[in-house]
Amino acid sequence: MTTRSDQPAAAMTLSPAALQDLEAHSAVSDVAATEADEAVLAITIRDLSAWYGARRVVRDVSMDIRANAITAIIGPSGSGKSTLLRCLDRMHEVVPGARSTGNVSYQGVDIYDPQIEPAAVRRTIGMVFQQPNPFPTMSIYDNVAAPARFNGLVKGKSAQDELVERCLRQAALWDEVKDKLSHGGTSLSGGQQQRLCIARTLALRPKVLLMDEPCSALDPIATLQVEELMSTLKSEYTIIIVTHNMQQASRVSDRTAFFNMGEDRAGYLVELGDTGTLFTNPKNQLTEDYVSGRFG
Amino acid sequence: MASDVATVFAPTSAGRRRKARLFVILAAAAFILALIPLIAVFGYIFVNGVHSLLSIDFLIQDPPADLSATGGGVRNALIGTLEMTGLATLIAVPIGLAVAVFAIEVGGGLARAARFLIDVLAGLPSIVVGIFVYTSVVVTQGHFSGLAGSLALAIVMLPVVTVSAEEILRLTPRPIAEGARALGLARWRAVLSVFVPIGLSGIVTGILLGVSRAIGETAPLIFTSLGNNFFTLDINQPMQALPLLIYRNALNSGFATARDRAFGAALLLIIIVFGFNLVGRWLTARRRLAGSSR
Repeated sequence: MTTRSDQPAAAMTLSPAALQDLEAHSAVSDVAATEADEAVLAITIRDLSAWYGARRVVRDVSMDIRANAITAIIGPSGSGKSTLLRCLDRMHEVVPGARSTGNVSYQGVDIYDPQIEPAAVRRTIGMVFQQPNPFPTMSIYDNVAAPARFNGLVKGKSAQDELVERCLRQAALWDEVKDKLSHGGTSLSGGQQQRLCIARTLALRPKVLLMDEPCSALDPIATLQVEELMSTLKSEYTIIIVTHNMQQASRVSDRTAFFNMGEDRAGYLVELGDTGTLFTNPKNQLTEDYVSGRFG
Repeated sequence: MASDVATVFAPTSAGRRRKARLFVILAAAAFILALIPLIAVFGYIFVNGVHSLLSIDFLIQDPPADLSATGGGVRNALIGTLEMTGLATLIAVPIGLAVAVFAIEVGGGLARAARFLIDVLAGLPSIVVGIFVYTSVVVTQGHFSGLAGSLALAIVMLPVVTVSAEEILRLTPRPIAEGARALGLARWRAVLSVFVPIGLSGIVTGILLGVSRAIGETAPLIFTSLGNNFFTLDINQPMQALPLLIYRNALNSGFATARDRAFGAALLLIIIVFGFNLVGRWLTARRRLAGSSR
């Protein structure tokens, strides 16, 4: 089981530097060490349930997310995939009437600890949405630089220039936009906008990237570009992707979690395993039926 | 064998076509009907007021002490109107935007109460606002003043600015709002740097609506800025305004000069409001980024 941070003083402070401090502390804690048998764990989820008002949409999910790996979450509509993802960076609670119970820990620190500011969690655990959502009144440059600047992560023109170029390169967008950085973020194509949103998130130096069906609004070529991008980002980031597309899950992910909707209409975790195993030799009959296209 | 055209693509029946045409005619008639008073009022004021405005003296001279005398202009009223409306805007816009942001970002009982009071305020006859400022400011200070007039105009403007800003900010697309949240931006930062720029043209339109409303108000000024036959920039002195000047001269429209002065001032007021709206549109249109489809 996960434990709460044994560094409450560090958890109380809100600056990014302090949060990194906190990560350093918890990374060497025995909790993380004992739980990681073969791979380092980034996120541990225990007994997580989520509600919208009186309706429970996620039921008792416990799973471990490995660091520097891509974990795909697949499952039919209504199986609670997106809601679970939104619980991992405290975006679920933003919706009026939404709440969750259970425990989510990042490197041994409970992200729902009352002493931790939700915004600090969201900076460390970034999110990319289904619909590309660059800020429409900001230039390409500002879409990347402004959030980092507003969070106090970068100061000065040259540091911002450097950050913008680095993040746009990381997002494989630099060559396409370097001559029009002052153009509006929404002037780009859908696929470019999505990579801009990824660059914008990367500018906050997150450790985890949550991607909620990031390619469902994109054409196949743009989808391929984003998938290739995910593979390159894996070495530095822990990535969790929710997808409706089973081919995508098998293409890009190392581990796959299959969710289903229960009798009570709440989503639950059926099976989590290595992607290859889950698709070819699943343990659960439901998983087999789903990945072979018999339902969902 | 080719199918009969009419059976593949069944044509619209004559009855439905007639009905469609009838509704187009009705809509067009309503449109014209609504335009008639607008054009009639503007045309009447233009025809009667334009010759006063053709003389530069009308703008740079003060009116004669005797309204029936010829010559003179409306300088004191023009400057007074601009000064008092400007100060009212400076007071009402920050408060109005703050209430709108509070209602959306914080919400809860206090926000609902504030919004309810703002709605009540919007429905309040403006002369009541004048009496309120008269008892609370003019009586306390012991004299009429441009400042009191500005406060009254600010109260008149406040609900217009607040309600429009709130409606506009409410339209912020949810993906954008969630994006700002997920980037760990402080709420005030998201509002100021993301939501307000997105809604800027709507917010500016709301402010201009408020300015247009306030600039034409007469009743709240009668007990507050009172009016002044002389030119003053001093906000602590009684101050003339275009609506007050129109009111006084219109009361004496038996004199051709007073009547002309009233029409000239009315046309001037319309031109100012029109000008503000043009400038506002130009300012917000200019902010568009290169290549943006917005």
